[in-house]
Amino acid sequence: MKRPLIQIKKLTKHYVMGDTTVRALDGVDLTVMEGEFLSITGASGSGKSTLMHLLGCLDRPTSGEYWLDGQLVSAMTDRQLAVIRNQKIGFVFQTFNLIQRTSAADNVAVPLFYARKNWTGGPALKALERVGLAHRATHKPSELSGGERQRVAIARAIVNEPKIILADEPTGNLDSRTGKQIMQIFHDLNHAGVTVILVTHEMSVALQARRVIRMRDGLMYEDRTVDQSLREELLTEGGAAPPVEEAAPRARPPMARPANVS
Amino acid sequence: MFFFRIFVMALRSLWIHPLRSILATLGVIIGVGAVVAAMSILEGMSARIETGFATMGSNKIFISPNIERRSGRMVGNFESLKLEDATAIAKECPNVVNVMPQITNSALIKFLSKNTNATVLGATENYSAINNHKVTEGQFLNSTDIQGSASVAVLGSKVKRELFGGRPAIDEKIKISGTLGSRTFTVIGVMEEKGNVAFTDVDRQVIIPISTAMDKLWGVKAVQMIMAEAATPSDADIEKAKEEIKKLLRQRHKIRAGQQDDFQVQAQKEFVQQFSTFQTLIGVVLGSIAGISLAVGGIGIMNIMLVAVTERTREIGVRMAMGAQRLDVLQQFLVEASIVSFLGGALGVLVGWGLATIIQNATRVFETITTGASILLALSMATIVGIVSGIYPAWKASRLDPVEALRYE
Repeated sequence: MKRPLIQIKKLTKHYVMGDTTVRALDGVDLTVMEGEFLSITGASGSGKSTLMHLLGCLDRPTSGEYWLDGQLVSAMTDRQLAVIRNQKIGFVFQTFNLIQRTSAADNVAVPLFYARKNWTGGPALKALERVGLAHRATHKPSELSGGERQRVAIARAIVNEPKIILADEPTGNLDSRTGKQIMQIFHDLNHAGVTVILVTHEMSVALQARRVIRMRDGLMYEDRTVDQSLREELLTEGGAAPPVEEAAPRARPPMARPANVS
Repeated sequence: MFFFRIFVMALRSLWIHPLRSILATLGVIIGVGAVVAAMSILEGMSARIETGFATMGSNKIFISPNIERRSGRMVGNFESLKLEDATAIAKECPNVVNVMPQITNSALIKFLSKNTNATVLGATENYSAINNHKVTEGQFLNSTDIQGSASVAVLGSKVKRELFGGRPAIDEKIKISGTLGSRTFTVIGVMEEKGNVAFTDVDRQVIIPISTAMDKLWGVKAVQMIMAEAATPSDADIEKAKEEIKKLLRQRHKIRAGQQDDFQVQAQKEFVQQFSTFQTLIGVVLGSIAGISLAVGGIGIMNIMLVAVTERTREIGVRMAMGAQRLDVLQQFLVEASIVSFLGGALGVLVGWGLATIIQNATRVFETITTGASILLALSMATIVGIVSGIYPAWKASRLDPVEALRYE
């Protein structure tokens, strides 16, 4: 169980915009073991989305290495990356991103379809069962509530039994009660052995993971296990809810922690 | 199975905007409809003309006044052929047999209180041999009738039925109205039923001696046409017969060397050739119309596919995140484009077939024939148009950056 699933070394991503180069990611090292529950947090522009895109094999780094499950994915072709995304990664998005014109079951079956597997019945229904939505299989997304849509999206993410779930602000469009239900599903999946990586700017959500990575200016400046002391620190840092990042996403966290930059 | 799934997926996304899909394919619908209708008409036309020629016999020669169409007007001497020309051809051209001058006009035929419209054909005793058309009752015109301008008539089977029903017609008196007034004729025969011969319904004919028709019914001095046959249907003999006729007529009409003929001599084979040239011409015109409308249709489809790609940018991003390869995305949009186009083509076939049927019922000139081959051609053309015009949008979709596509609002 305890073997590294993700290893990234000196990962950078630069965008050239006219004369200036934006260093969205400026040399990040990170190791994630199998079975971890990790959250990546930071303000807008901190590089967390870029990191998520790279971790999700949607994009290629400018430099550095990315090893996923023993394979050097940073050197792969578009075609190979598509296979990796299909087989190893399950995406959950803030806006669910379901295809409106097809049923829940058909939405869940999309990754099966691109895996050239049998997409009817079986696996799609089983995935829906795992998120408690088997009875809504034939409903279209427009007939489902927000929480139900996100559960369909999670079922879609797990239908190919990936190693990693990459969730980008999965509770951002949900009320707090529904958000909790969704977080519970992630916990359950994690207990079942799936590595979950949560990308969020909401500290209260981030703290539900067992490890929090904080980013700023394209760099990781904190990587800590979630414990009481971190909770207290972040509470004093942001004061009472809402947390700092939510209230002023553009603002820098008041306390710089250079010592913790890896 | 994978392809089938893509097919279903494409159908589903088209179904979301049925009106838009139909509007996008309007060009293809019209193009294919026009092609199918035109092909059906052309097919029907050639079938009719072919049977028309087939009933004629292949050694026929037609001699007619040389009339040209100049800027829409018929120019030439309509009265250049005389009855005597026919007699001379029969006498002096050794390779020509069965010479028959003729003149036709439509006229009102009366028997007691009944009347009907029919084609009155002024002909000679050779009619029966040259058209292979015989009497079932009584007898046909003989040379004495012609020479004596006898007021006798032979009825086509339909004319007989309309005027006399089941009763015998021989020796009855009928009245035919011409420009010189109404004239009484004695029925001497009834022709067998034959249908169409050389584009004429011979069952609706009344045949009278040509001399009677010219002198006593219509008061004309010239014949409309002289029909003849070459001794054998071989090309060489037909050519020989034509040369003999031309030489004799130039001499009789006193046409000097270098002067243009005031008549024309054509073999049936030439008509067939002319017709096939005409057919090719129509084919080229139709082909161009089809090409243009299908190109327009293709632009319509390309347009709607580009809209669809933009509209579904995010979906494409999601599909890519779920493991869709660029080729999968390309395939999805290509299939979609060809399905729109194919369905447009199918609608077009229906439209074209309907159009052809309407034209057929409105004109009643000939039957239109919609062949399987023309339907297949139209459908495959439509599909190809769909594929070709789908290539660019599909390529564009497949080249999207997944990160950008997922961010697209």
